[in-house]
Amino acid sequence: MTESKIVDLLAVFPDLEPAANAIEHLRSIGIHDECMNIISGIPVTEAMLGRPHQWTNIPRIAMGGAILGFGAGFFLAYITPYIYPYPIQVSTQSFIPGPPTVVVLFELTMLGMLLSTFLGVFLDSFFPNYRPMKYVPEVSDGKIAILVECSHMEEKKVTDALTKMGAESVKPAEAQHL
Amino acid sequence: MATLADLKISEVKLAAEQTGKWGMVIDQDICTGCQACVAACAMENNVTFVGEVDSGYGRSMHWIRIERFWEGEYPEVKMTPNQPMLCQQCGHATCEPVCPAFATVHSQAEQLNLQVYNRCVGTRYCANNCPYQVRSFNWRDYQRPEPLPNQFNPDVTVRRVGVMEKCTFCIQRIHKAQDKAKSEGREVVDGEFTTACAQACPANAIVFGRVDDPESLVSQLGKQSHGVKHLEELGTLPNVTYFKGG
Amino acid sequence: MAYEKKQTEHAHADHQGHTAEHFREKHLMLDPLPRGQMNDMVMESMLEKPTWKYWAVIGILSFIVVYFLFYKWGVLIAKGQGVAGVMRPDYWGIFLVNTVFWIGISHAGTFISAILRVFRAEFRRPFTRAAELMTTFGLVQAGFSIFMHMGRVWLAYWLMPYPNQRMLWPNLHSPLTWDLLAITTYLLSSTMYLFLPLIPDVAMARDRSTGWRKTFYKTLALGFRGTEGEWTHLRNAMNIFAFAIIPVMFSVHTIVSWDFAAATRPGWSSTIFGPYFIVGALHSGMGAAVVVIAVIRATMKHMKYFIRSEHFDAIGKLMLIISMAWAYFFFNDYMVQWYGGDKWTQQLLHFHEAGPMGWMWFTMLICNIVVPWAILWNPKWRATPWLVGTVGIIINVGMWFERYIIIPISVTINRMPFTWRLYKPGIEIPMGIGTLALFILLYMIASKLIPLIPVWEVQEGQMAHELKKFGRETVVTVSELE
Repeated sequence: MTESKIVDLLAVFPDLEPAANAIEHLRSIGIHDECMNIISGIPVTEAMLGRPHQWTNIPRIAMGGAILGFGAGFFLAYITPYIYPYPIQVSTQSFIPGPPTVVVLFELTMLGMLLSTFLGVFLDSFFPNYRPMKYVPEVSDGKIAILVECSHMEEKKVTDALTKMGAESVKPAEAQHL
Repeated sequence: MATLADLKISEVKLAAEQTGKWGMVIDQDICTGCQACVAACAMENNVTFVGEVDSGYGRSMHWIRIERFWEGEYPEVKMTPNQPMLCQQCGHATCEPVCPAFATVHSQAEQLNLQVYNRCVGTRYCANNCPYQVRSFNWRDYQRPEPLPNQFNPDVTVRRVGVMEKCTFCIQRIHKAQDKAKSEGREVVDGEFTTACAQACPANAIVFGRVDDPESLVSQLGKQSHGVKHLEELGTLPNVTYFKGG
Repeated sequence: MAYEKKQTEHAHADHQGHTAEHFREKHLMLDPLPRGQMNDMVMESMLEKPTWKYWAVIGILSFIVVYFLFYKWGVLIAKGQGVAGVMRPDYWGIFLVNTVFWIGISHAGTFISAILRVFRAEFRRPFTRAAELMTTFGLVQAGFSIFMHMGRVWLAYWLMPYPNQRMLWPNLHSPLTWDLLAITTYLLSSTMYLFLPLIPDVAMARDRSTGWRKTFYKTLALGFRGTEGEWTHLRNAMNIFAFAIIPVMFSVHTIVSWDFAAATRPGWSSTIFGPYFIVGALHSGMGAAVVVIAVIRATMKHMKYFIRSEHFDAIGKLMLIISMAWAYFFFNDYMVQWYGGDKWTQQLLHFHEAGPMGWMWFTMLICNIVVPWAILWNPKWRATPWLVGTVGIIINVGMWFERYIIIPISVTINRMPFTWRLYKPGIEIPMGIGTLALFILLYMIASKLIPLIPVWEVQEGQMAHELKKFGRETVVTVSELE
């Protein structure tokens, strides 16, 4: 049982270069990319650290929201005038006005898209999330932290490797209230 | 060869020639400027009295007003004919499409511009977009001194603060006449009823009736060549014809 | 010969030595500090114990807000629009002037943080947040102003599209309905766009605060740690926002201009109003942004490190260009109206210039064109914060006058000369001052609650900048990290 126990190690690196080297090294000693996570205080791209491409649903969610927004705009512009039991005429303008529907469709499409983009961040990142999490406050000081998930047996090996690659500190990660 | 029909020009012409249902003819040459129409309208339609101060500041709420102009510099001034101005009940009304709440809409049955008081939220866009400046807004909850509240017309809504209002061509009278004719199983006869302003005019300068009936007095008068419609060039298709210098 | 060579070498070395130091002093992006130190500076500027002056200003502003905005608003609702200066033919008065003005102010935030982000203008980095805050708070004032204007504001919800008892939906023919949709979209999206880049900064603040602030930042940070996934989602979302909010911003002010352009009024029915209003909005917005930035720099701790004269120089250039664009659109509008020969329009143009409010028309031109052109052409003056800030205030006076001329002054002249009458503002003036006070108040409170400098963006920029030598010359280079 103890052999299969999973431990999380949190290594803090001062800069990009040693962190990237460490990731490369970890991979060479058999740690899979999926078992690593990077925590940083600035948006470090995957390419900088030689990490696999990160999947994000945001563009799809945005597109979906845009379609929903367009649908809402369509409903407003083309359906609602018919819901009122008596057709309302204003001036000699056509019952469903042409150019104004473009305005309505545009605004609601954009609203749908931007709202869903915003909500997409919440969905994709599991926000809001106030449970205890593995974190070191140093990352907001510009440090780069690598969170490695490995079996109990590998712990020593990984710790040594990380220290060798220039980690400022390597310690078992504990979930804490942020 | 493309014909006019191919170019769909005929439809455009149709729209421009479209006539309303109810209309009015006002002869400025015989208008004496006595303001009887203004008073009669106020009484018929429960138009409130705004008092001197507000009236002097352009907040008078008359649905019909007598506009007076003069030409030349004092003392060489010459009065031009009085010009009673009221809602022109435009066929293509600019006030209607701009209301966000559908408080001013076009009546299909009567071809009039309706004002739905209890739907109005007071954006005042309609008044701003009315080229005739004939809409009046309830700037305050004006008090009616005793005994004026005793003469309210029960057929007309009393408006309160924050609501736009305007001439309705006495739509309550139209409906009353139509109901009466219907119960007697006949059509409304020309001259059977008229608006308060036309009724009160001592000079008979205002004539009201069906403009879509070629036999009616208002249609007959309207055929005179010196009749003009105000600001016709804006394409508003007004239903009030004015005579001046005939 | 040898002497000459020595001279050049000497000069060269001198020049080089000067440049590196000079660059560091001049450019924030070339003067990097450790991230931790920048965090501390931003936290300190926020947590600095407010002086009695701060509380005095807060007290005065609160009084103005409570009395001039809310109490007077109560009076307005109780007594009707009669206590304002509106009448026939000036059905629209200062409330709508203020609405357009505040929506204009709100355009600066989007312009700075979206357009400059899309075009990667690096000078934007330290003050995107300050500008975005202006957008949100400005829109709040615009919303207040438009509600003040309504005759029956307690029924304002009737304009919302919702299934009411009678299934009567709003009139989509009306520019005001488009306005409602556009301003709602803009308010929501600019608030979200303010919030997204704020998440990493409040996470930073969370890590270094205690007490109620800890709870506050913890709640706002939503549990952000800065994992790869979180950054990727955030970056993607901000990218979408930066691009998509630009057309929204353009649509908002175009639709505001359609409120006027769609009407059959002399002076209003103009096809150029859309872009003219957008440029006008940017003009006043940039003016207001520079004032806010200058005030932040002067009053808050450590801000002189983040906001430097290079930023005023850059914004000053933008202001100059926008002023020229505004002059172009103004002249374009004027020229065509003048040439058209419509008698009412001729009357109106004459009234603008020679009427009782003619002084306002000329002051507008001086504030919007003469002053910015006379001052902002000079790089030295342009880099002087107080001077550019003053120009910003003057531009805003000019732009407020512009809206005043377009709304109450222009509607004085209509096609029914019998109704011509000059507008005399009433309760609008104190209530307008109330919105200004509320704007400043919200800003002052926010400056103590949220980090005004997006530290992570500044650090990202500092990483991307370096000095590179091309032959004998040292130049600033930027690498595209994003």
